Amino acid sequence: MIEFLRESLRQLYLLILYDVRKIFRYKIFILMRVAWFTVQVGFFAYLITAVVGQRFGAQATYYHFYLLGAYTSILFTITMFRGYEIAQEFEEGVIEYMLSLPIKRRILAIGRILGGSISSFFLSLPMFLIVIILLGGFEPIAILSAALSAYLFSIGVVGLSISIVFLLKSGDVTDIAFGMMDSLLVRLSTVFYPATILLSFLPYYYVGVSNPLSYLADFLRWIFYPSELGKYLIQDDPAKILFFLLGFSISLTTLATIFIEKRVEGGGWK
Amino acid sequence: MSLVKSLISLKPKSIYMIVNRDLDRFWKYRWWLAGLITMNLADLFIFAVLFNRIVNRELIPDYFLFIAPGITAIAAFASAFSIGREVGVEIRRGFTQYLLSLPISRLELAMGRVLSGVVRGMIYETPFLILLLILIKIPSPIEILYILAASILMTLTMSSLSIAISTSTRNFDMQATLRSFTYFILFFISNVFYPEKLIRVRFPGPLYYIASFNPISLTVSLYREIFGVSQQYPYLPEHILIFLFIWAITTTVSYTHLTLPTSDLV
Repeated sequence: MIEFLRESLRQLYLLILYDVRKIFRYKIFILMRVAWFTVQVGFFAYLITAVVGQRFGAQATYYHFYLLGAYTSILFTITMFRGYEIAQEFEEGVIEYMLSLPIKRRILAIGRILGGSISSFFLSLPMFLIVIILLGGFEPIAILSAALSAYLFSIGVVGLSISIVFLLKSGDVTDIAFGMMDSLLVRLSTVFYPATILLSFLPYYYVGVSNPLSYLADFLRWIFYPSELGKYLIQDDPAKILFFLLGFSISLTTLATIFIEKRVEGGGWK
Repeated sequence: MSLVKSLISLKPKSIYMIVNRDLDRFWKYRWWLAGLITMNLADLFIFAVLFNRIVNRELIPDYFLFIAPGITAIAAFASAFSIGREVGVEIRRGFTQYLLSLPISRLELAMGRVLSGVVRGMIYETPFLILLLILIKIPSPIEILYILAASILMTLTMSSLSIAISTSTRNFDMQATLRSFTYFILFFISNVFYPEKLIRVRFPGPLYYIASFNPISLTVSLYREIFGVSQQYPYLPEHILIFLFIWAITTTVSYTHLTLPTSDLV
């Protein structure tokens, strides 16, 4: 039993390492992301704040509100990118190779999800630091809580993207589905506007209230500006938001694991 | 002089065949198109509608009407820019070698690809322009000609630029990254989301001129001027068309005359 557990953990470690090591392939990619995120927060966010004009309490402006939303949206995009990568692995036959290895499907699924989420979070770290620097100094506990909640969110998003790729099994359709999801979910969330604004259009509000992006963006806002931005949360109680994020990551990880364990076969990639 | 000679020797039929082939392929990417349309419509009917509720009314009375011409220009830009992605995929799959082996000159092939981008941009932009006519006003015939001229010049610039990026390297990931980077820079550093005067006040240096003379900004300014969503742009529509013409000529000549002879990728 102990030997089995040790072997499973070793396999899990190797799978996580496989994804994490790939970070070093993305030097140019991350450099470009950092560059356009800098433009987004240094130019777009600055001007759009002037367009809004409205303050969010004594210390916070729309700029503070938007920066945390912008980080949420970039983390979502980077994490969904794991799906593109897995689609590429399908094209290159790497997934078939992995399915043929003497590794339990469950370990394979969990390993890829944890590895994918760790590397996504690391890839988003420069943007996280830019946001922290622009917002000003904070307590280490607040920064740590924000990092942990962001990681929790990326676990759920990797689970989601893996499930979609394995379900669609097509490079082109995956490309389009992710593009559409990205554009719709970012706009139908509290990334750009407070939940009270979404409430003015009920169909939009219902999507926003079940959208994980709204929960991470608002949870980060509550962590850094509890008295100012805490009034505009998607749920009145921050504990509910945290439970949602926890439920999201556990349920999507479970879904992807069941999917890989029960339904996935090699081949059939379009 | 050699450019003039090359231009005179161009066979319109060869260019037409390339454009026709690309247009045919454009319809095959209907799902990709659906994704692009979703993104642009989401910007208009979700982002603009909701954002309209928090903007400073003294600065922008109606954000939906303000951003609608911007989204129209972005739609044409994105679609024309997509030709670069396709050229990139062809380079990756080695299909470019086949195209180079066809009995047509490199310049004809290049012009055909660039014009394909223009046709794509114009087709894709048309429903958005119709939406502007319905939502805002119907311009006069001369104003419609101005709109068409601006759209053609802007899509010509973007098409040349995206193909030039795709043919600059064989590394597919690098191509995609460079295209995305260029796309986002042009997208954010423009007047699509904020008024011209605000950029001038907040960034009164070179950044203002970059944002202001960006081909997308120029097109958006002309649309706003014609549709009456005025932003007190300092130049007349005729001046804007001249600036756009300079952009189109510069990028097209740079691509067809400088990149092309030295590259084995078209």
